[in-house]
Amino acid sequence: MKNNIRVERALRNITQASLAEMIGVSRQTINTIESGRYVPSTVLALKISRIFEKPVNELFELEDTD
Amino acid sequence: MKARLLFPHPYRMYGWILLLPFLALGIAHLYFEFNLDILSVKLPTYTKDTFYNEGNLTDELAALGLIISLLFIAFSKEKIEDEQIAKLRLDSLQWSVYFNYAVLVLAIIFIHGMAFLDAMVYNMFTLLIFFIIRFRWVVAKENRLLINQGGHEE
Repeated sequence: MKNNIRVERALRNITQASLAEMIGVSRQTINTIESGRYVPSTVLALKISRIFEKPVNELFELEDTD
Repeated sequence: MKARLLFPHPYRMYGWILLLPFLALGIAHLYFEFNLDILSVKLPTYTKDTFYNEGNLTDELAALGLIISLLFIAFSKEKIEDEQIAKLRLDSLQWSVYFNYAVLVLAIIFIHGMAFLDAMVYNMFTLLIFFIIRFRWVVAKENRLLINQGGHEE
């Protein structure tokens, strides 16, 4: 699964640390999601989509391997 | 996310503090036949001939202390206990169960007689020890990745 959280974050000038704080996870978790090493739960994906005010589908995208 | 049957974060430190004396006691008992005199008691034997035997509870104390302190170290919450940590925890738990049984299988094949009993004594604790090593290692690895690529934001 791909995601463009890093891009969305850069557009809004939000650091990993502050995004982590906004959705109640560790900075490590944001980092692992951005680099594709961790696939977040639906709850976490919805929280991220609420912060960026974008539907989950625009933030996360299935890959052929999924 | 809700807590998942974990001890509060400070228990990890309590676990390490408790571990030292109990580990020392266990090693002293196992290798130097050290016994605490106040723990000498009559113990039920459950045989027909006698009801009680002279016994000493030093090894029981050491074993229980070790189990409790290792449980505290293994299953205390992280500072920020979220779903990604929970996944690392679960992965590490599965890995350590496999690894522990692999070691046990080798012990069954290669160790015989009374030496096998020693192996079983160690085996009581190795599952937790392997888990702690593996879990701390993956958490440290993630932290290193974070520091290497993101600078020190926290």
